[in-house]
Amino acid sequence: MEDTNPHPPKRRRFFAASSPSPPPEASDPILPSTPQRELHDYAANDDPNSDTTPFAERDEDITIEEPPEDEIDRDVEAAEIKDLSLRFDATMLESVVGELSSDILKRLDDISGGNIERAINMYLDGSWKDVRPSEPKKSGKQSSFDSMFSQNGKRKSPAGIGQSSIAPTPSDEETAQRLDRMPYERYIGSFGAEGYAVRSGSNLLSHGEEVIIGRQQPQQVQKTVRRGKGRPVTVVSQAASKRKDIVVRFSNSRGEEIGRLPHETAQFVSTLLDQKICSFKAVCVYAPEPLRSNETIFLQLKCYMLRQTFAPRALRLTETNRSTGLFETKETEEEKALRLRQTSLVKLFNEIRLFPTTAGQDSKAKREGLLQVAEMAEEKEKEEAASGNSTPIKDEDEPQEGKELEQDQLDQLYKKAQTFDFNSPEAEPAETFTMNLRRYQKQALHWMLNKERDKKNEGQEESMHPLWEEYTWPVKDENDKELPIVENQEKFYVNPYSGDLSLKFPVQEQNCLGGILADEMGLGKTIEMLSLIHSNRNEPEAVSGTDSKPFNLPRLPKSSDVIEPAPYTTLVVAPMSLLSQWASEAEAASKPGTLKTIIYYGSDKSLDLRAQCSAANAHNAPNVIITSYGVVLSEFTQIANTASGSRANSGGLFSVQFFRVILDEAHNIKNRQSKTAKACYELDALHRWVLTGTPIVNRLEDLFSLIRFLRVEPWSNFAYWRTFITVPFESKDFLRALDVVQTVLEPLVMRRTKDMKQPDGTPLVPLPPKTIVIEEIELSKAERAVYDFVYNFVKRSFAENVEAGSVMKSYTTIFAQILRLRQSCCHPTLVRKKDVVADEVEAEAAEAEARGLTDNMDLQALIDKFTSQENDGGEVNNYGAHVLQQIKEEAENECPICANEPIEEMTVTACYHMACKKCLLSVIEYAKAKGDQPRCFNCREPINEKELYEVVKHDPEEAIGGLSGFRENVPEFSLRRIAANKSSAKIDALITNLKRLRREHPGMKSVVFSQFTSFINLIEPALARERIQFVRFDGAMSQQQRSVVLNKFKAHNGGLVLLISLKAGGVGLNLTEAKRVFMMDPWWSFAVEAQAIDRIHRMGQTDEVIVHRFIVKGSVEERMVHKIQERKKFIASSLGMMSAEEKRAQRIEDIKDLLS
Amino acid sequence: MALPKRIIKETERLVAEPVPGIQAIPHDDNLRYFDVSIHGPAQSPYEGGVFKLELFLPEDYPMTPPKIRFLTKIYHPNIDRLGRICLDVLKANWSPALQIRTILLSIQALLGAPNPDDPLANDVAQRWKEDEPGAIATAREWTQTHATP
Repeated sequence: MEDTNPHPPKRRRFFAASSPSPPPEASDPILPSTPQRELHDYAANDDPNSDTTPFAERDEDITIEEPPEDEIDRDVEAAEIKDLSLRFDATMLESVVGELSSDILKRLDDISGGNIERAINMYLDGSWKDVRPSEPKKSGKQSSFDSMFSQNGKRKSPAGIGQSSIAPTPSDEETAQRLDRMPYERYIGSFGAEGYAVRSGSNLLSHGEEVIIGRQQPQQVQKTVRRGKGRPVTVVSQAASKRKDIVVRFSNSRGEEIGRLPHETAQFVSTLLDQKICSFKAVCVYAPEPLRSNETIFLQLKCYMLRQTFAPRALRLTETNRSTGLFETKETEEEKALRLRQTSLVKLFNEIRLFPTTAGQDSKAKREGLLQVAEMAEEKEKEEAASGNSTPIKDEDEPQEGKELEQDQLDQLYKKAQTFDFNSPEAEPAETFTMNLRRYQKQALHWMLNKERDKKNEGQEESMHPLWEEYTWPVKDENDKELPIVENQEKFYVNPYSGDLSLKFPVQEQNCLGGILADEMGLGKTIEMLSLIHSNRNEPEAVSGTDSKPFNLPRLPKSSDVIEPAPYTTLVVAPMSLLSQWASEAEAASKPGTLKTIIYYGSDKSLDLRAQCSAANAHNAPNVIITSYGVVLSEFTQIANTASGSRANSGGLFSVQFFRVILDEAHNIKNRQSKTAKACYELDALHRWVLTGTPIVNRLEDLFSLIRFLRVEPWSNFAYWRTFITVPFESKDFLRALDVVQTVLEPLVMRRTKDMKQPDGTPLVPLPPKTIVIEEIELSKAERAVYDFVYNFVKRSFAENVEAGSVMKSYTTIFAQILRLRQSCCHPTLVRKKDVVADEVEAEAAEAEARGLTDNMDLQALIDKFTSQENDGGEVNNYGAHVLQQIKEEAENECPICANEPIEEMTVTACYHMACKKCLLSVIEYAKAKGDQPRCFNCREPINEKELYEVVKHDPEEAIGGLSGFRENVPEFSLRRIAANKSSAKIDALITNLKRLRREHPGMKSVVFSQFTSFINLIEPALARERIQFVRFDGAMSQQQRSVVLNKFKAHNGGLVLLISLKAGGVGLNLTEAKRVFMMDPWWSFAVEAQAIDRIHRMGQTDEVIVHRFIVKGSVEERMVHKIQERKKFIASSLGMMSAEEKRAQRIEDIKDLLS
Repeated sequence: MALPKRIIKETERLVAEPVPGIQAIPHDDNLRYFDVSIHGPAQSPYEGGVFKLELFLPEDYPMTPPKIRFLTKIYHPNIDRLGRICLDVLKANWSPALQIRTILLSIQALLGAPNPDDPLANDVAQRWKEDEPGAIATAREWTQTHATP
């Protein structure tokens, strides 16, 4: 019993040098009793005469002790057998941690050395599992030793002095035999310091005398690293370490306290001692004789690294008896200890002038940076302390801190991640996957499979972890004497960021079984992901058909509060508008019956996922569950609001551990404070993937959120992230911050862009060409009158505001007026419409402002004049059959005016002469302008626009589709008074284009974008009148309606027009069925329009895409396109990243441009 | 400014199916500008003569008529000394359905049927009315002098 207990008296004697009892080094050094051997060890170190070669003797010891080793083992074993191995009080242990099997008890006893406190701690943090003391103790067991060291390290020890920490327990016994690998402590360097005396007297200290460095009232520093967070122990330690005591004392060899180290030295020495990283020995270089209080004493401090320092400080939290609380708060004590450790090490290395043998970058700059970071943190802490509310989680609470990135910085960031090797290996997708992958997609698949299987890339050398530095142990001491060389250990490694030390080569690990697929939009991320879903899946065991278990009912999970694994299921989280697209692509990419896909949304949510996805239900478990961010959030909130916070009982997304989770458009969680982001972090899955075209939208913290979701250690710790990335970045050390981010990104991200070229020069994705045509629209006179009126009104009102200096104040009003002006380009009646959906800001003010315009009688008159043309008329079919016959025959003639063949929108005069509608109208317009009576171009009969009749050709397709029964009743041609469908110049232009399209490319689909749903409302009847078939998609539709519309558009055979609001349809959708795009109105920045166009012109598009942008000539629209959009091309930062205030200022500038 | 489809078509047709006795060739550097030559109609004082004209299609064509003028001196009551032509279809009676071809045919017809009642060159019209054979002789003479290649 006694040899397993820590020996407080012994410690006191050695390290506080206060014990009067003589050191037992006098005893036989080869005494085979554990404590004594340990003591001898220490004694050797403490021997003042052995200062130059501290472990030479120890090496001797080892060789001497070689024979007794076996004896010790035998002794220990015998002891164990004797007292049934339980050296501590099992009842007490069990009262703390709960009942345990005798096996575990035995093991705990073994590894804790009978120390009950240690046993409890080890059991609670789970580290006992890593330790296997009963295994043979020969070489190759480094890891188990390491973990023992670390347990020593975190054991609560009453005395804090470095050397004391290895207690003479059985485990230490074993390590002692390993001294040939790493001595207990190893010299790394020395430096000078000027201490000051605290006592007076003579013969206290003389030159060359050994000085003992120590901390008398050591802090009770807890390494909380390995402990469960939020335990009482930690709280105590937090309180304890609040006391800031950095006093380091030194005493002479007789144990008399002589003085203290100066503040700046003490600062780091205290930490190194407290955290048991180093031990120090000092020699007095000069001390005044006699010594008086406060006089300077010159010391040389020798620093030794402690062996235990090099034990891995794993952050891993082992699984047992540690429930994953959903809502734990952050603790900062750990972070603070880390920071102290890190700075102290850096300062120490600076003092002893130890520089890394290999370090990635300019290590000096790096060190300075680190110290700077630490200082900043300290200052911050002080500030917080001063203000009295030092909330430990303050960092987390600051909303959206972090500076925004400039465009060139972003480019730089991506550069590394984008250096894509075109010869990287490819993988073939599984057979159940039906689509043909392009080469780069196969490469992506290969990469993803590797990430999931956690294989290292073949042929890639193990590279040093970028945050680590390599140091060489000094071979000579401060007096230039040779130091003993430890075999195979010329180097050690330091992570100056975390303060971690290691003897082993720190390999850059990739422990995240997923990653970020950041291919640019349109490269087929969804397809790549689906190929992965097919190619890496768990196959349920083959069941012998139908007979063996006729009722293969899913068993309910046994325990209801354990998270149920769902080994066959991939969860896809996507924005709502993409749910059905995911489902249909999943279906299209799979052989029938090979991929069971469900959409988990709305009313379909009633299923119990625990039962559905469990391994027991293997054959019916869904392979893919598609859900929206909203659902994730609402389930998360639901669980959070229940008292227990238990995820398992909910039966929802959080009650199972998926095989894989995929976040589509993952920039949705870019703000880590957002509830959605927090909810997503909590989704449990073996493999975690994010898909996004923009992993960093505008600040580095955006990336953090993704990393956090992926659970990439250690970056998913925000404090860590902050230290290495945010703080350097904020202190303008961009290069370093970006460099680190690059290294984080590199193994995680696969990103290809559309404009990448393959080695042979061909683009990655050969997309068919895209042509953008700007169509200039001439407003009719009536429209122009309305436009001019509104324009003058707005201009006057803006000028008044500028004069009054109230532009910012009346911003919304001005903005709404501009909106009206833009609308008047589309259709005059829009000016008075109240149901505008364009922009939140705009809509809100639109109504208030509309009054100003609508009450205006002049405007009213103008609009009435316009609308009066609309009302009369309708279809006129009082022509004789022979006329229609004649029309039919002449239909293919060319227009006598413009020579077009055939005549476009054939129109007949009252005298039966035919020409293009446009030509006829311009003849009339021209004559009117000259004050002449318009006459027929052919017979010179007077004509007027009210008596023009358009020939409407009926779509035979339409007759077959909807009205097949009445087919004989539908004439092939009919005439309609032209005035009846006079709507607006823009709508006319659209109709003309659509009709031409129908004629030239029957069956071609097209998409019409407008930002005004009220304008879409007006386009609808115009299309209906022309018997042009259309469907509509806007933001007011439910998810179900949307998917109905999209499916109809996709499935429809023949020509179809999709009317879609720019807002609702600008992102995400895949509309490659269409080949023509009509942009009815320009947006402030072309990027928004371009995004909408990319819905059609994207991967999967097989034909040339022609885009028509309708711009009214001589209007604000023209200026928007030519001035504002042009200008914005050069501003890398889009409006998205400005503050609301800046945005407004920017818009005001825009408006000035518009009205100039 | 791109050339309208109609002008292209008309030009092509003038080349492909020329009207007998009429020639119209566009300038290389200005496709709206044509060199025109018209043969004097048979049984008219202008028989045997080849008259040069210039023709220009204005921006508004075919909403406005082409501008056309004789370059060769001609003795005709409806054509003045500057070569300007008095013809209704070139003015009020223009219709966008008319073409270069039809206009040139009208001019050729005008040569065959002078109309001294709607004169442009008043002195010529006066003589035509008072001494028609003399006027025709002068016209023939002028044709010999100015319009014979």
